[in-house]
Amino acid sequence: MSVNIREATMDDMPQLLDLVLRLKRLNAEFDPLLKTLPDDELRKVAEEYIKTAIEDRARYLVLVADADGKIVGVLKADVRNRIFYVPRKEGYIIEFYVMPEYRRRGLGRTMIDEAARLLRERGADVIVAEFPALNQIAVNFYSKADFRPLLYIYARESQQP
Amino acid sequence: MAEKWYELALRLSKFYGGKIMVVPKVPIRGLKDFAIWYTPGVAAVSEKIKEGGADASFEYTWRWNSVAVLTDGSRVLGLGNVGPEASLPVMEGKALIFKYLGGVDAVPLPVRAMDVDEMVNAGKMVEPAFGGINLEDIESPKCFHVLERLREALQIPVWHDDQQGTATATLAGLINALKIVGKNIRDVGIVLVGVGASNIRTAYMLIKYGADPRNMVLVDSAGILHAEREDLDKLMLEHPWKYDLALKTNGERKRGGIREALNGADVLIAASRPGPGIIRKEWIANMNKDPIVFALANPVPEIWPWEAKEAGARIVATGRSDFPNQINNSLVFPAVFRGALDARARAITDEMTIAAAEELANYAEERGIREDYIIPTMEEWDVFPREAAAVAAKATEQGVARRPLTYKEELRNATELISLSLNMLRSLVEGGFIKMFNGGID
Repeated sequence: MSVNIREATMDDMPQLLDLVLRLKRLNAEFDPLLKTLPDDELRKVAEEYIKTAIEDRARYLVLVADADGKIVGVLKADVRNRIFYVPRKEGYIIEFYVMPEYRRRGLGRTMIDEAARLLRERGADVIVAEFPALNQIAVNFYSKADFRPLLYIYARESQQP
Repeated sequence: MAEKWYELALRLSKFYGGKIMVVPKVPIRGLKDFAIWYTPGVAAVSEKIKEGGADASFEYTWRWNSVAVLTDGSRVLGLGNVGPEASLPVMEGKALIFKYLGGVDAVPLPVRAMDVDEMVNAGKMVEPAFGGINLEDIESPKCFHVLERLREALQIPVWHDDQQGTATATLAGLINALKIVGKNIRDVGIVLVGVGASNIRTAYMLIKYGADPRNMVLVDSAGILHAEREDLDKLMLEHPWKYDLALKTNGERKRGGIREALNGADVLIAASRPGPGIIRKEWIANMNKDPIVFALANPVPEIWPWEAKEAGARIVATGRSDFPNQINNSLVFPAVFRGALDARARAITDEMTIAAAEELANYAEERGIREDYIIPTMEEWDVFPREAAAVAAKATEQGVARRPLTYKEELRNATELISLSLNMLRSLVEGGFIKMFNGGID
């Protein structure tokens, strides 16, 4: 089975959306502060969000892994300006999901490498990835792909019990 | 029916103050002998073990024959999380069977452990005192994590009976059932209903034995397990074994529930929740020719044996002694540990477990297998030494035995040890040291 990695089009939407929703539910497992919206609302918001990204190729990158017409992986990154730092632009990966049975065979790594190439074309010399702090699988994955911890994001509820 | 056993168990457990005790196994001619068994003599034995290392402790102490029955009481029988104290009578019962059928000195050891790490630590901490650890009644998936980590960390066999004991007996029964219907494990479609401790281990054992995982379909309370199910990421985080099976099995991508899974299948192994009515007759009727049905839930199987037969099942097995073909882990654990302990094994490998299953199956086959006799009964006492011999021989072959043994050597050895234990109990009862109780069992 061949898997083709390419930029997403609007035709990919229903399947692509499903993968993003899976990712959000996975993230919710790690922290109550990542609890997702009710299903129908979540779906609506996510659809709008992906649509924007697919349509604006200068500011976003949406990659899909296409296995004979079936979308088995998705990666979405934002191209952001870094006001104070050099390099001045970063590709910021927020959504990255591969279907379970396509994992552990290097597909994720191939997608990251392809994303890095395309983000560089869009002027981003740094790639950043965001994921739940307790997601050890993601920690291992990115470490193996030569990423290192750069910033910490700590959170708590504003009102304490 | 059960009420009668409840009443008796309560009354007699109180009367005897539990079920097991420690009895010296050396003569004491007088208090002077304490100088041999205790100080000062024992100091030499202690020194000897200090010099000889852990292996010497198997030669000079009871360690060679001792097993800890270790639990946190988090999933006791069908009762759920009753806690360590309430699990003690069950662990005592286990120890009693260990001694009676295997000649093994088993120590009930419920511990107050809160999580996987504490349970693993408990196992590590007691390792020096025992020749093996039998994990018991630990909730899933905790039991998988504990078993895997302890198997890796310890130099003595660690076994989780709820997984491996049941899986071994199931494999033994299936080997003979397949012979009767003339099918090969490599070709059959197998449906496992209930994806808990025993069926997960059964799935792995069947794969190891030659079953094609793509021809296996697992069904839990959320339906058929498949690679695209919504809860898969949650499983990946919490239950890597179930996750792994979700990816490996169900090559046809069946979806739905038990009905859809059984359509065209050859074998059903249900270990889910008490029936009847969990498995329906019309579902069995839709299975392939000569269906094999194992309905293992206790106290009531997922479908009554006669219902399964009426629906066309050729062979039916349950977990109960009052029906033919009882799939019972008591057929397995006393003998597996007997063999592993005698070989001073460092582990009980999957291959040793399969050897036990094959020996169980061979024993029944030699006596003539039929639809209603695919596995030995508990009364067939002499199957235990044979199983022990098969396990010890396999341990030797695989190089995990500290004390290599041939099949023949262990057969003689195990026969002697097990009959010794039976005879000792008999003589204690006959001598009036253990009082007989009246009535009840009729």
